[in-house]
Amino acid sequence: MDGLRTSPEEVERKEMADVILKTGTLLMSAGANTGRVRTTVSRIAEAFGYSIHLQISQRAMMLTMLDENGSSVFTVVRVIPHHIINFRTISGISKMSWSLVEEQWTLHEIHEELDRLEQLARFPRWQVLTMVGLAGSGFCFLADGSHTDLAFTFVASFIGLFVRQESIKAHFNPYVSVFFAALSASLIAGAASKLGLSDSQNHAFVTSVLFLIPGVPLINAFSDIMDGNVQNGITRGFVAFLISFSIALGILTTALIYQF
Amino acid sequence: MDWIFLNKVWILTILYKSIWGGIAAIGFAALFNVPARSLFHIFLFGGIGVLLKFLLLHFGANIALASLIGAIAIGFLSIPAAHHKHTPPLIFYIPAVIPMIPGIFAYRMILGLIALTGNVKSPTYNTVLLETINYGLKVLFILISLSVGVVIPMLLLRKESVKDIKVPFVKKPRIS
Repeated sequence: MDGLRTSPEEVERKEMADVILKTGTLLMSAGANTGRVRTTVSRIAEAFGYSIHLQISQRAMMLTMLDENGSSVFTVVRVIPHHIINFRTISGISKMSWSLVEEQWTLHEIHEELDRLEQLARFPRWQVLTMVGLAGSGFCFLADGSHTDLAFTFVASFIGLFVRQESIKAHFNPYVSVFFAALSASLIAGAASKLGLSDSQNHAFVTSVLFLIPGVPLINAFSDIMDGNVQNGITRGFVAFLISFSIALGILTTALIYQF
Repeated sequence: MDWIFLNKVWILTILYKSIWGGIAAIGFAALFNVPARSLFHIFLFGGIGVLLKFLLLHFGANIALASLIGAIAIGFLSIPAAHHKHTPPLIFYIPAVIPMIPGIFAYRMILGLIALTGNVKSPTYNTVLLETINYGLKVLFILISLSVGVVIPMLLLRKESVKDIKVPFVKKPRIS
């Protein structure tokens, strides 16, 4: 080590690494597939003329910054925060990665944009609950449910999602939260046929939990595997399987309670 | 135009189903917090996917094939939409494809699996076994069809779609 002095290039390279890791971890936790993270991050690095090596896993991201001769300068690892799906962030980062090339952004500007994207507004809670309730009715209609069934699945999905949100807030394990949600939703929807308001085919009962299906991990699992990120794909697939298993457990508990 | 076709009940049912399919897609879009400007397209694509699936089912197609074609259609539609709305295509295709996930089959498969843990000598055991395998394979193949179908257009058009974006950005050989 030649003293504590750091050259301007070194400082900038550190800042670049910070920007890359921040972008990557944000994308990964927002639910982007691994190929997208890699492409976006490489695009940003290329725009600034840096060469990098990347290793992306579900829980952490590892980055090696290279110098002009292609030898590594330093390697950093950053933990990926809890995965909370947020497509607005993905969309914003994708847009940013294009315009920063076009408009020659500085690193500072990227930092500010990332901070902004991190705190983007979500849909108001009641809106999400209502729309998910309607989605539950939609699933029920697709499975040939009657109008009573539609009403019951609406209420069931609405309350089910509410329970899930509250359990996550109360720091329950994600799979336990899914179990609670599936249990409460199917308990409410199952009441339709239990009270004799619906035919015995249990459409409401089954479709009320479909709002919990792990669509993003499932589809990302396949796109990751086909992209060559097999490890991440398998991890995501397994997560999707565990979530489905929790849903099944919740619905079976209800079936046991109601003696379906 | 043959609007007379609308008198047929099955067409109306399929149309209603596709509208509800679109609504289901919107629900997931809200859950995933998509940009508000993409909501209408997601509704449309979710509806189109369900419409195609049920049309094909009506004409006797296999359910996995019907889902695959619906998913491929959604995948193709999301590419122009992505350019138009300036968002990556996955924001359209993931919520839009979810209404086609076979929840009822999955439930019956799990019920079957539980029943299979019972007495082997019971008279219905063989029937339950066959039904469970049938539902399980249906679920498996539909899920694969949906997840792969939605990516197929991206795999086929990947290079073109990057070029289509109007950014003066010369692609260099990729690092890493």
